[in-house]
Amino acid sequence: MTEPSIEPRASDSQADVLFPTALSLWIKKLRENLNRGSTILKYLIIHWRCETARISKGALLEGELVISIEALNSKHQANTLHCVTTIASAGSIFGGLVLKKFLKGIQSILPGRSAELSWTSEEASYSQDVSGVTPFQMIFEVHEKPRTLMTDSLVIKNFLRKVITVLPKIRFNFSVKVNGILSTEIFGAENEPTLNLSNGIALVVNYQHYVSTPKFGTTELLCSRIHPVLGHPVMLFIPDDVAKMGLLGELILTPAAALCPCPKVFSNQLNRISSASIFLYGPSGLPLILPNLEQPTSTIFKDTSYFINWKKYHLCMVPNLDFNLDRDLVLPDVRYQVESSEGDQTQNMDPQGQTLLLFLFVDFHSGFPVQKMELWGVHTLLTTHLSAILTESHGVVQDSIQVAVDQALEQHHQAVKAHQKLQASLSVAVNSIMSIMTGSTSSSFRKTCLQTLQAADTQEFGTKLHKSFHEITQNRFLHHCSREVKQLLPEKNNAEQSTEDAHENSSLELLAGTSGQVEKKSLKRGSLCQGVEETRAFRSPRALNPSEAALGRAEPTAAPLTPRSGLEDALWLQEISNLSEWLSPGSAS
Amino acid sequence: MAFAPRGPEASFFQVLDRHRASLLAALRKGGGEPSGGGTHLASSSEVLASIENVIQDIITSLARNEAPAFTIDNRSSWENIKFEDSVGLHMVSHCTTRKIKSDSPKSVKNFALILKILSMIYKLVQSNTYATKRDIYYTDSQLFGNQTVVDNIINDISCMLKVPRRSLHILSTSKGLIAGNLRYVEEDGTKVNCACATAVAVPSNIQGIRNLITDAKFLLIVEKDATFQRLLDDNFCTKMSPCIMVTGKGVPDLNTRLLVKKLWDTFHIPIFTLVDADPHGIEIMCIYKYGSMAMSFEAHNLTVPAIRWLGLLPSDIRRLNIPKGTLIPLTKQDQMKLDSILKRPYITCQPFWRKEMEIMADSKMKAEIQALTFLSSDYLSRVYLPNKLKFGGWI
Repeated sequence: MTEPSIEPRASDSQADVLFPTALSLWIKKLRENLNRGSTILKYLIIHWRCETARISKGALLEGELVISIEALNSKHQANTLHCVTTIASAGSIFGGLVLKKFLKGIQSILPGRSAELSWTSEEASYSQDVSGVTPFQMIFEVHEKPRTLMTDSLVIKNFLRKVITVLPKIRFNFSVKVNGILSTEIFGAENEPTLNLSNGIALVVNYQHYVSTPKFGTTELLCSRIHPVLGHPVMLFIPDDVAKMGLLGELILTPAAALCPCPKVFSNQLNRISSASIFLYGPSGLPLILPNLEQPTSTIFKDTSYFINWKKYHLCMVPNLDFNLDRDLVLPDVRYQVESSEGDQTQNMDPQGQTLLLFLFVDFHSGFPVQKMELWGVHTLLTTHLSAILTESHGVVQDSIQVAVDQALEQHHQAVKAHQKLQASLSVAVNSIMSIMTGSTSSSFRKTCLQTLQAADTQEFGTKLHKSFHEITQNRFLHHCSREVKQLLPEKNNAEQSTEDAHENSSLELLAGTSGQVEKKSLKRGSLCQGVEETRAFRSPRALNPSEAALGRAEPTAAPLTPRSGLEDALWLQEISNLSEWLSPGSAS
Repeated sequence: MAFAPRGPEASFFQVLDRHRASLLAALRKGGGEPSGGGTHLASSSEVLASIENVIQDIITSLARNEAPAFTIDNRSSWENIKFEDSVGLHMVSHCTTRKIKSDSPKSVKNFALILKILSMIYKLVQSNTYATKRDIYYTDSQLFGNQTVVDNIINDISCMLKVPRRSLHILSTSKGLIAGNLRYVEEDGTKVNCACATAVAVPSNIQGIRNLITDAKFLLIVEKDATFQRLLDDNFCTKMSPCIMVTGKGVPDLNTRLLVKKLWDTFHIPIFTLVDADPHGIEIMCIYKYGSMAMSFEAHNLTVPAIRWLGLLPSDIRRLNIPKGTLIPLTKQDQMKLDSILKRPYITCQPFWRKEMEIMADSKMKAEIQALTFLSSDYLSRVYLPNKLKFGGWI
């Protein structure tokens, strides 16, 4: 990988031209997305990525961020929450962040919104050493409607899920406290198996991030991995009008396709494809598109045949517009569903079929062609004009994707054949053993056979025999499945397979209403108090803003706790109900 | 008895008789019947018990949550073979093995097929009936794929159970032929007399034949069917009476080898080979005498180390002034085969064989027995063989 080329600016006036455009686009995007947290996190990670690349090229981002949102009813506006969001590093962050540069950058991008955002920051310590270890903390405050806060929380969660699947060494501790009710969730994939791509991106291959757990019998075992097939990178042609806006450099798109769950241990019954999901990632491995609760506006996403020629596989796909943010899965940017040849049976289709996952990584061919201060603008331009760029390069994009999908489906085909062969062989073996056992004239032999498998009669013996063979061979095939992953990866892509054991994320979600939960709430409040104390250690007395000081003074005159607690519970449940109603597919109005 | 067969006069066989006496003396010196030290024929109950033990081992593995596997001696590795001049090539007692696992994608099918054939053998032995390998294959030709698969699995089972293949009640049709002074009764009671104009097919159940009777002075193993037919046409068995002729029509099958072994064990008459003067013929002779790697686990029942090479010797070609025009250059494969034979463990105790093979290697020429027709059409049966037999022209 060559050094990123930084083009010298012709003049400052050229930079001025760039920033107003980018800023304008960003502000518009911000309003459309209705989410500041994800946007700020995105900027934060881009900045972090640039610093890391400068210090150690190709290294994975590593470290933990704590994101805390505390919301209280606003005393100045009705039906509005006063939200204080804190983003802080926990421990050291490899690669480091030059905080002053970061703050200068973020503030320069948000001049139009500064009235709503109050920035408070300080450095506990600042060092220039090579390791670049820099603990930091930043706080901003906004006023939001309760519904907006709920949506923002879900959007942030999905953003975090999407980030950890390609930057698995970053860990996020995300907590939301609304009028004293706390929920905390940790997002991380540090110990999970990955497929390492180039440029410091690693794709997590644990299937549980992408599809719900299929409903199998208890004795069924699963390979817990997807096995992505990398397609060859293709150059994307940038249309002239987009280039004029400042999107310069060479863009490449690298597709990866996988079937999920792994078909090698999937029973024959469910071996057909019932849906497809597409995930788009931009430079730095960050999501290109933030979740948009409106229907997708880009025409290429509505066109099911843009990415894949489904007719080749005898499949008819229709867009699936069911956006469900409230699941512990990475939300696809585009989702298609197989339509039955008979429309009437659509609702009867088995939702537990396999999902074709398609990951599209868009990046610059030779690293970062612009200075990091401008990268945000480039990212925004790329997001906005992705449709135009992809339309311009449709032929090469589809060809590359098609090759990757073909290979992934070939895996599927081979897996089905291997499974059928295994079942046929086991059937022959079991029948042969039964033939000898039942045909024997030696009663001691027959008795020994029954006793060994603890079977009461011949019929039960046969059942247990088949089950034992099936379980043992499935275990072995799973082992083979994991080991075969390396052979699927083309060497030219510098792909590596991490064979670390899967590690499940621990997540806590608070559900109001039960006495048990009340106890948990108490424990969590105590924990949060500890956190708050640590947080205060970073603040200087002069950092307190007037509204917070007012809150402090008002405390002695607060109303009795019990009625407020009941009110808070009702408020929370009401918001959950509103959110569910709003997010349900049926609510068109 | 009127019209007794006209054979050569009694003095013709003096050298042969002395050769037989020396063979018998060697046997006595060697400690008696070699078959006594070999694998004995297993009884039906023993075979059934062996199979049941295999099944119990599988079920025990499953109960322990372990994948069952068959452990089979590796029949395709020279490191598992040793040579003893009284036995030939046979498998060492502690040899390398290979596993046929039930949980490996590559071997699970083979594992299943072994069980399938075991269950068929189990029924055959229980009912005291026999089937040919062809019968086995055609019970489910799609499952087995081809007959070679069946053959290999049956050999694997024979090796695994340490039981001769014929005790598994699986026969194979024989392509061999036999002619001459020999009579016997087949298992089904059929009386066979080989002393007739046409040859008799080697029986498919050698184990079952009994009441063998012969006055033969020697047994001649003929490599090729064409040569065998030529000798029949020339009434060789009558002219050289009493004698026996056998052909395996090339590489001998199991039944032909078993027959030769049985005749030797029963009568201890001298046995000679008549093969082409080429590496392939030498290879076939070695199979009769020392056995093959693939069947080395059953060497005791298949090899006759007392066999001698009667012709066609490479040195005979030079001695008889066979013209070069009738000779054939050695191919590259011929030379590779010759080198392979020269490296085998039994060559070290056969200096005369080595000398003949080196003559062939030096001249880079090979000759078929048919080359003798250059001298005269019946030279083989009228001159070449009688002279060699009379004057001890074997090595």
